[in-house]
Amino acid sequence: MDTSALTEPVLLLLLSLAEQPRHGYSILKDVESMSGGRVLLSTGTLYGALQRLLDHGWIERIVEDNTPRDRRTYRLTSRGRRNLQVEIERMRHLTKLAALRIARKEA
Amino acid sequence: MITVYCWLLCLYPGSSRDEFGDEMTSVFREARSALPPALAAKISFYLREFCGLLSGALCAHLDRLFGPVIPFRRFSMQRQFRFPRSTVFLMCVILASLVLAIHKAQNVVQMKEGLPPATATAWGPMLWGLLLALALILATAAAAAAWGVLFALRRTGMHRLDGMQTWEEHRWRGPTKPGNSFRP
Repeated sequence: MDTSALTEPVLLLLLSLAEQPRHGYSILKDVESMSGGRVLLSTGTLYGALQRLLDHGWIERIVEDNTPRDRRTYRLTSRGRRNLQVEIERMRHLTKLAALRIARKEA
Repeated sequence: MITVYCWLLCLYPGSSRDEFGDEMTSVFREARSALPPALAAKISFYLREFCGLLSGALCAHLDRLFGPVIPFRRFSMQRQFRFPRSTVFLMCVILASLVLAIHKAQNVVQMKEGLPPATATAWGPMLWGLLLALALILATAAAAAAWGVLFALRRTGMHRLDGMQTWEEHRWRGPTKPGNSFRP
């Protein structure tokens, strides 16, 4: 399994879909709100990332008959959720390590 | 602006445009309608959107031609011995600039003396090209050898990474090297 870190926009996008399935504009606003307005995705960046995540099987489209073509909803697959948990675990390890190193330096 | 956006969408490969075009236009329209009235916010939004579209179209074409070229993971550090390719590229650029500068200077001197410029000779550029190629090969070999010596003497800092435990190793095997591993 590839254990290198995810880019911040992709991580925020996955976190946004981890809570509930969302459509494009909802993801855009949620990413902006989660990052406190620091990460502002353009539609080009958002759909580039969505396409790559779809290709890798990390997310999937929810197919519904009555959904209009311009407002499709995406959700995390079990593979995507597993990879997101791995990333969160990696970050948790890193923050613990950082806290330990800082504490050592201060002591 | 919607028209400009739709024109820019035409830069995407047909398959991507068919798959996401309508959605992207709809999201752009929604985002635009929620913009604050300030001019700066509008300019920033349009710049971000149009730059995002241009880079997105480029990435989509590259992905289609060569497979996924832009990873969604960050670049990770490599522990094995690798000579940086960017150094070779920079060396090429510097050497080429140097050779061109010398060549231009010679031409100027010859023109001042009333002689025909050096480029008039047919084999001149070829000779310069051969010399450049030879110099590049020698410089690359010398740099690679120097890097190899430093690597063998463990002076590059790369070996320090060998002692590090990744979080994955720590998780599954537990800490093995107390000096470098993480202990909660």
